[in-house]
This record gives sequence, C-alpha cells and structure tokens, in this order.
Amino acid sequence: MEQLQYYFKISLISIKRAPLPYLLTVLILSLGLGMFFANATFYYRLNSDPLPQKSDKLFFPMMLLVPGDCDSGCEPPPVLSYSNVQKLGSSGIPTAQAAMYSSDSYVRLDSKQQPLPVRLRLTQRDFFQLFDVPVLAGSIWPDNSARYEVVIGKQLAEKLYGTADVVGKSLLVDDRHFTISAVINPWQMLPRLYDANNGSHISETEQLFMPLETAYDLNYMSATMSRTMDDTDYRQLATQGRTGALHQLQFWVQLDTPAQQKAYKDFMLQLAQSEQAAGRHPVHINNQLPALRDIVRYFGRESGDVKAYALVTLLFLVVCIFNASHLSLNRYISNQYEFSLRRALGASRWQLQQQLLVDVVVLTCVTLVFALLIGAASIQLMNYLWPFNRLFASWDLSLLSALLLLSLFCSYLVTLYPSLRASFGALNQQLKE
Amino acid sequence: MIELTGLSKIFRTELVETHALRDISIRVNEGEFVALTGPSGSGKSTLLNVLGTLENFDQGDYLLDGKSVKGLSDRELSTLRNEKIGFIFQGFNLIKDYSLFDNIELPLRYRGFKPAERKRRVEHALETVGLAARRNYHPSQLSGGQQQRVAIARAIAGSPRVLLADEPTGNLDSLMARQVMELLDQINRDGCTILMVTHDPDQARRASRQIQIIDGQLSDAVLYDPLAVA
Repeated sequence: MEQLQYYFKISLISIKRAPLPYLLTVLILSLGLGMFFANATFYYRLNSDPLPQKSDKLFFPMMLLVPGDCDSGCEPPPVLSYSNVQKLGSSGIPTAQAAMYSSDSYVRLDSKQQPLPVRLRLTQRDFFQLFDVPVLAGSIWPDNSARYEVVIGKQLAEKLYGTADVVGKSLLVDDRHFTISAVINPWQMLPRLYDANNGSHISETEQLFMPLETAYDLNYMSATMSRTMDDTDYRQLATQGRTGALHQLQFWVQLDTPAQQKAYKDFMLQLAQSEQAAGRHPVHINNQLPALRDIVRYFGRESGDVKAYALVTLLFLVVCIFNASHLSLNRYISNQYEFSLRRALGASRWQLQQQLLVDVVVLTCVTLVFALLIGAASIQLMNYLWPFNRLFASWDLSLLSALLLLSLFCSYLVTLYPSLRASFGALNQQLKE
Repeated sequence: MIELTGLSKIFRTELVETHALRDISIRVNEGEFVALTGPSGSGKSTLLNVLGTLENFDQGDYLLDGKSVKGLSDRELSTLRNEKIGFIFQGFNLIKDYSLFDNIELPLRYRGFKPAERKRRVEHALETVGLAARRNYHPSQLSGGQQQRVAIARAIAGSPRVLLADEPTGNLDSLMARQVMELLDQINRDGCTILMVTHDPDQARRASRQIQIIDGQLSDAVLYDPLAVA
C-alpha cells in the first residue's frame, strides 16, 4: 500500500513536470472517448432489449392473407385486418394476446377547457400483461368488449387533474365521456418494440389507452400505418372496418414454451391452408412469426445514421489514440533518463511497469472526467439536432462501467508503447551526460 | 570479489563493428580501490558499465562474489545492482524535483526495506556525506560538490559490496573534487570496494591500484598491482 502511494506520488510529480503535454494528451483522448461514448449511448439504447425476461416469448404473427395476387416480394403485410386478427386470435394457444394500433385524439376534463392533444393506443386487455405495464391504481378492462373506459398514464393524470388519484373520474376524449378505469405508473418501454413494424419504436409510450372495439365503434383510424386491399370507404370503421380488407392492426401473442410456439406455427399453417381452400387466399403460403427481440431487424428499422455515426466516432477514437500515444511517447522519452536511472539503481522492468500501471490509472481517472463532460455535451448537441433521440440519451451503471473500462483500455494503449520504449531503452546512454 | 576472464564487448551497427573491450581479464579483491585510467574512448566507461551490469558483454565471463552474471534474468540483474553495486555518475544523476531524502531513498524502495529502515539508512548516509541538515533540500539548491555527495550518499545507503564511480569529479572544481575524493577514501577505508574511472593522474594515484585501458585492452603499464607484488 505504501509503495502504491509512492507510485501515485511520482506519477503526480511527473505530471507537474510537464503539465501541458499531459493536458493535451488527456484532452485528445477525452475528446475521442466522449464523442464515441455519446454515439455509443444512442446505439446501445436503440439496440437494447426492453423486456429481456420475455423478449423471446412475445411474437408478432403475420400471414400473407391478401385477396388477389401480390405485386412484388409477396411478403406478408406488417399490419393485419380486423377479420384476420379474429382468425389468428381464435387458436386458444397463447398465454396472452392483444391487437392494437395507435391514433391521435384530444382530451380535456370539460368542454370549457382547452383540448390537449394526446397519442392514443387502441388495444385489448392483454396488452398490459404482454408488455409488463405497471398498474398504479384501478383495474384493467375485464375483457375485450367495447366500453367507454380508458386507462391513463400517471403523468397525464397529474397534468389534467393535478393528482394521480383519478380512477372512476370522467374524461372527455374527443368530447366523448369516458370513465378512467386504471392509472399506470410512469413507464417507458425503450425502444417501444411493439410499434417497430411502423418504425415508431423510438418515440415515447402512450399515456392513454382505449378498448380496441370502442375505437372501431368510434371510427378511430390508424395514425401510423393502414393498407386497403379494395375500394371500400373505410372511414366507417364500425361497419366496413371489421369485415373488409383494411389492414391496420398489430397483433402480439405470448408463447412461453417451444411447444406453444410450434403449436401456434402449426395453427397458422392450417389457417393459411383453410383460407386457400376457401379461395380467399390465392397466393402461396408465407407465414412469419418473428420474436420481439428480432422485430427491429426483421422490419429493417435499425437506425443507419446512428450505426454510421458510431463507426465514424470509433474511427475518430482510433485517431485520437494514435495522437495521444504520440504525445505520450514524447513525454515518456523526455523522462527516459529517469527510467534508466531507476533501472540502474535496481528497479526491475516489472517494477517500472507497476509504476506505469499507476500512470494508466491516473490517466484513466482524469480522462474519464473529461470524457464524461465531453460526452454529455455531445449528447446535448445531438438532442438538439435530432430531438427524437432524446429518449435514448440516458446513462446507467452498465454504460458508465463500459466507459470506465474503455477509458482504462485506451489509457493503457496510450501508455503501453511509450512506456515499453522508455523502460527497454539502453541504460548507459541515458545516464552518461 | 570481481573476476573478469577474457571479457569482450563489441558494438555493432549495420556498417561497422567496434571492439570496445578485448579479452579483458581482471581480478579485484574485496576492499580494493582501483582506478581505471586511459584516454577518451579507450573503453574504460564501457568496462565500468559492464561491471555494473548496465551493459552486457559478448565473450568471456564476469564473476561477482563468485557468481557469474552471465545469463541472469532482468529481475536477477536488477536485484544484483540494487543490493551489491552502488553507482556514482559524472553528472550526479539526481532527480531534480525530488528532495535529497527522496533521491537517496530511491534504491532502498526497490529493495523492499520498511519505511523505518529506509529512514535510518538515508539519515546515516546523509550524515556520512555531511548533508544531514539538508535532507529536504532539492538538488538545484546545492553546489555541484554537494550534489555529488548526495549521489555518493545514494550509492552507499544500501551498503553495497562495490562502488562504481564514473569520473565522479569530472564536473567539479578542484576544491570540491578533493572533498569528494576524501569522501571516497573514507568509504573505501570503511571496507567498500571501489572502482573509479578517472582522467586525473592525481586522483588515480590515490587508488590502491591503477588499471590502464587503451583501445579496449589492458595496458601493460599497470602502475601498482598489489596482487602482482604479492
């Protein structure tokens, strides 16, 4: 311990001896690390698994149940019609299942109040179970039938009512009276993978939830993606929307075991075959059942920008490491005389390397502080340039630990070659003036 | 104490080979004060570096305390330097931003001495060279002669078996040089073997034996060799 303190002391003396080159080394390395870390934060968040405990158990069934020939590719559409959801939901195999889509609406407490625009999720009872939505108070709808009851987020409740104790209270949604049946705790599923088929998975979770049947009764059209396969006017969802070829629904099922998953695939195959036999499905069978954890990749919704920036900042970090190494080499070569003296006086190479490891630790600590500051500033800049990324700009312990390890690794790289050059130099030449 | 047998050292570059030392055979007994003399570039400093294991050699053998240094690992050579050899350089080689205490303590740290033992040894060494009152001074606050005395204190603090001095008075005026030589005499009288490279004939005469090196070889003109006399 006493020797360790001594190593720290001589490391600080060495810094004091040439503070400017040291500061430059730190700044260059911190700049590379900070920029890389800012991009890595977004990359990590966008590619993280928001439901690791069940991301391999939630599936997004898709079938090529389209009337007429498919134009190109013959891929199953990423949204389903109401009737297809009814068919896919009739298997009785999943532990939970829910159809859903999203729409826009206005809410207020009474007609005198200014309406507040909100994004609605129109869904079924099992949605909250599927995605582990935390319920604060009240109860979720007992079944999937139409009802004038909504589930509200705590933040929206506090914004509208000034309190979260709002179960049973009335709310005007597009000037229709609804009763609040439950309040959910602040909840962010990041990324919001249940909406990945629309490419909307990098936005905030909704604060208001309405029964899907009620939404159809009230003619709420999808605000994200809808496809029609015929000439019907689907603005009258309550009637044509349930029977025609309007595709706008997402459908998620929870299949906990491999046996369930196989049974559901068999069920989808039988369903496609029966649709073909009935003449409603003239093209070849193409069923897909991607899991939640694969859904972004399946729909090709990975952010190319973030990936490209991550690569660019990685290359920038490499350039910074080279530059910092060069500065560090100059610093160590100017101190080479001292290394040689220490070796002449009896220090082994290993003892010198111990000293250099302490130099690495000191450099890591100083660099980490600067890198965090530069990283935070970079994230602020990126939030300004790309506001939709703001949700993905938070740091947690694992990210900070990764930065610490990366700083340690880079500091070691920056110190390694110069220190080897310094400690393996010819002793006699340095000591002879 | 020290025994060199047929020792040779060649410096190689891409174009030339320089035979710095050729077939050197020397024996130095414990307690001797040997002066290595010779013209510039004759190889005496190279010989001192080989003796101090700061440089390796190509042929021959070198026994220190009856043990060959040939083939020793870096760790073993470091231990050997630390425990058995003290160095005094012409340019003092003190670390400028360390106090005198810290400079002298340096080799003792690598020896693994406890803090109390290091303190005792540093203070004793400082007393020996007459600088006990200036332990917290920095080298730049001292004269050249005083700095060399600090270097001597650093060399003797670990109680080495042999002291290797490379022109220890080369950077000093005559008064300071005399003080340093008196100090080396005293250290030698206390039982420490000294090998000293010098250009100065007067200083060489203070040694109990002179070994002259010319063109990397031992000269026949050895002025006084107690072994030869014996």
